[in-house]
Amino acid sequence: MANITIEGLCKGWDFPVIDDLSVEIEEGEFFVVVGPSGIGKTTLLRLIAGLESADRGRILLGEREVTHLPPYRRRVAMTFESYALYPHLTVFENISSPLRARKKDRATIERRVKAVAQLLRIDHLLDRKPGQVSGGQKQRTALGRTLVADPEVFLLDEPISHLDAKIRQDLRMQFHTLEELRRVATLYVTHDYAEALSLGDRIGVMGNGGKLVQIGSARELFERPKALFVAEHLGQPTINAIPSILQEENGSLFACAENAALRLALSPQQSQRLNGGAKRRIVLGLRPQHVRPADELRGRDSEIDAQIDIFEALGSNGIIITKAGGVTITGLTHPERHFEPGQDLRLAIDTEALHIFDAETGLSLLEEPRWQG
Amino acid sequence: MARVTLADVNKIYGTGTRAVHAVQDLDLTINDGEFVALLGPSGCGKTSTLRMIVGLESVTSGRIRFDGQDVTHLEPQQRNVAMAFETYALYPNFTIEENLTFPLEVQGVPPKERRRRAHQVAEMLRITPVLKEKPPGLSGGQQQRVSLGRALIREPAVFILDEVMSHLDAHLKFQMLFDLKRLHRDLKRTMIYVTHDQVEALALADRIAVMSNAKLQQVGGRAALYNRPANAFVADFIGEPPTNFFTARPLQENGSLTMQVDNSTLRFQLSSEAQAAVNATGGERFIVGLRPQNLTLDPNRGDPNRGRLKAAIAINEYLGERSILTLESGKARFRALVPPETAAGQRDIIDLFYDPTRVMIFDAETEDLIV
Amino acid sequence: MAATADIAQANTQAAQTAERWRAVRYLFLIFLGFWLLFTLFPLYFMAITAFKSAAETNLTQPTFWPQEWFPENFVGVFAEPTNFSALVDSFIIATGNTLLSLLLGSLAGYAFARFPRQAGGENMAFWMLSNRMFPPVAILVPMFFLFDNTPWGTDSHISLIILYLVFNLPLATWLMMVFFRDVPHELEEAAYLDGWKPLRAFVKVTLPLVLPGMISVAMLCWIFAWNEYLFANLFVGSDVRTYTIVIPTFTHGSQTLWNLQMAFSLIAMIPPVVLFIVLRRYMVRGLSLGVVKG
Repeated sequence: MANITIEGLCKGWDFPVIDDLSVEIEEGEFFVVVGPSGIGKTTLLRLIAGLESADRGRILLGEREVTHLPPYRRRVAMTFESYALYPHLTVFENISSPLRARKKDRATIERRVKAVAQLLRIDHLLDRKPGQVSGGQKQRTALGRTLVADPEVFLLDEPISHLDAKIRQDLRMQFHTLEELRRVATLYVTHDYAEALSLGDRIGVMGNGGKLVQIGSARELFERPKALFVAEHLGQPTINAIPSILQEENGSLFACAENAALRLALSPQQSQRLNGGAKRRIVLGLRPQHVRPADELRGRDSEIDAQIDIFEALGSNGIIITKAGGVTITGLTHPERHFEPGQDLRLAIDTEALHIFDAETGLSLLEEPRWQG
Repeated sequence: MARVTLADVNKIYGTGTRAVHAVQDLDLTINDGEFVALLGPSGCGKTSTLRMIVGLESVTSGRIRFDGQDVTHLEPQQRNVAMAFETYALYPNFTIEENLTFPLEVQGVPPKERRRRAHQVAEMLRITPVLKEKPPGLSGGQQQRVSLGRALIREPAVFILDEVMSHLDAHLKFQMLFDLKRLHRDLKRTMIYVTHDQVEALALADRIAVMSNAKLQQVGGRAALYNRPANAFVADFIGEPPTNFFTARPLQENGSLTMQVDNSTLRFQLSSEAQAAVNATGGERFIVGLRPQNLTLDPNRGDPNRGRLKAAIAINEYLGERSILTLESGKARFRALVPPETAAGQRDIIDLFYDPTRVMIFDAETEDLIV
Repeated sequence: MAATADIAQANTQAAQTAERWRAVRYLFLIFLGFWLLFTLFPLYFMAITAFKSAAETNLTQPTFWPQEWFPENFVGVFAEPTNFSALVDSFIIATGNTLLSLLLGSLAGYAFARFPRQAGGENMAFWMLSNRMFPPVAILVPMFFLFDNTPWGTDSHISLIILYLVFNLPLATWLMMVFFRDVPHELEEAAYLDGWKPLRAFVKVTLPLVLPGMISVAMLCWIFAWNEYLFANLFVGSDVRTYTIVIPTFTHGSQTLWNLQMAFSLIAMIPPVVLFIVLRRYMVRGLSLGVVKG
């Protein structure tokens, strides 16, 4: 059992993939790294596992430095996005592989594999080969192989992204409830923000250049993003990002969309945070859930006129894409309502929940200016 | 344009004891200009159905008609259908324009006309800026649009889309949904969309044909599938998170009928319509279904007849726009969709409210909807 | 727009298409028949010749069925006791060469598959394979002098075992490279993370997955070495004799004893055929390159 400490980790090939990354993951913590595909999340896992060698920086498991140890000396378990099950071995042999590698006796192996298989509900498949089980069962087998190893650190690489929605939900519950995962440090990598928000005790959002743009709890990241990148990556439909200019009028601040007729008043608290700054170029961040038809949202709103472009009932939400003063704004509504394209409606915007980002740096102007680099 | 009719269509692979009935007694009409989704889990027969419509698979029995004309035994090229695939299958050494015009070149359309149509399609799919580029330089979403364009350019009578979005990641998929919706609105062409993802199907299609175990389970619009699913399978498959199910027995109490859930203190109130229907069956065991969306923490939405449940929170999943509570009461486990502000934590005991008319009752044996 | 052809026309079209396909199928069957005759006839003629009398093999009008059966031919070929030991010599050489080719070829193939840059890249691998393209006869004499200067000389098992590497090693390396490439590197990485050391991971995970391919390679190498004549004829002959150089010795004065030659050939065919039958299951899987699927 140990913390994972990563200090100034660098790795690159023709260009840097992981650049000066530092993070500490506590024993028992479920840490999720989320980011777009191809950003270097898997590379981070492979560095910790020892499958890639770091160019610079250190990796410590507890007090033990493992930066230069080969993978089989690190006591790290990892699942691969492709599952990487041994196709010529049965499910039982796959799961027992880490135990056999450590020369456990037959009875122990039998007992531990059975226990893990029961936990993951694959105990009836132990004699099958990986080719004869479904995708979800393959994933469970791969998970079983890591669980049985009793490692100091779990690394999970997109473990459920390739499965059907229903199995995904099922396995997500499993990650919530598996004691084994909650006892040690777990690093979980995904591109799906919902998975990240659901599972992570803490979440790191990985951005371009292999940096963790922001680290925090699900609520912190979603409700107080420190950068436009974070706000855009978390949430669906994507946050409305409207290039605007701050204007001052009678002592209060307004955000005016560039080259468009949209104008929103900011609250006194927001104005105070911004500390004047009129004429400043900003990006206004407006989550679709805070934009609703005026008859649905109550209190602390500004209202604007808009026209429906598209309405679509998607899952538990209805999505309205509207044109307001020349700007396209996405909002949410009740899925059982109905709107026709071209229909006029009044939109209510919860301005308390506005995010304001600097147009140049993309950093939040409302949240603390310091952020993780 | 065309109306597609499948009449009593069967598909059986193999013979004798090893025969697999992939599609069983399928009757389905897709109207001219309609957008229909074929939805079901893998292995439900939707792909076989699609392949029979295109003509890539022979029909064991039954008839397929386009606008009344029997096409059951016609070759794919004679049917005037176009299909876009899950994998984009673009020619990497051709430019986008050449990729688009290729099907026309095969048909012998003159170059000028080919160019005109390529530009028209590109405009529609917003790929005009990349017409001169080659596929490897394009993003996944653009490649998928080119692949759609290549199917569209032939101006087919029936346009078939086979899992076209499964390779796109979430953000692109979302964009693509709206693109497709616009496309159908502009073209008004008969479209058949095959998918295993209920969100895509519900968002796009005018009507959805839900298949399972080689059989058509239900055809209908979003509201019908959501509120009046034909059976427990449809109720389970449509909706996210899936419907909560409880096995329960009827209980008479103060002159009204309720449903007592097995191994739990949960008890569901029923609408008078449902009470009558349950009484009429005289059954002992039922499956009760209630969607997570129809459970709320808000006690007074102006309705005195609301039912109430008491349960302990097992997991509170914060998902940004919403939270999903996983709740426990005795052996019963279920989910509720609540606003993201909900702060209640693990093991808190909370009250949940529901509208009794939203409670669905299924037969415990056949799993068909009773009310 | 939907085709406007009516149902009757559609049905005729379908019927015409079916008719055309049937004709193509018959043509194909006829072609297959000829091809079978063409390949099987030499084997048939060899088999019956092995049972003929010496006189019958020399008739100007060839017979396609023995006038009289002479199974004694099969005893006759072993009149000279060294003839049997020739089969043993061939076996030793073919097997020794195969084992060596597999060992070296697997190692090299693995290197090319996993560390292409360090191993010299695709070009290096292709250059190795291209060694099989020059005419063997070109190196016949140089090789003879080269081996003549080794401690074991030319007339030994070991000389041929090593010499045949010239032909079999490039083939084994190339094919094993293809098979190793088919095994995802992640499987080995998963094994490292399970705690297996690299060599054990190779034995436990990679080797079983390339085994079918390896057996095919073994078959190809073995058959080449078993049947080789040109180099054997020059290199060996007194201490060691391969069966291929024994066959031409079945003569009587100026007369070729076709029946004995064919009988001996028939016997020499038995080991590869048996091997093929035993290993066929693995070979087909290996040659189709579908080593890892699912």
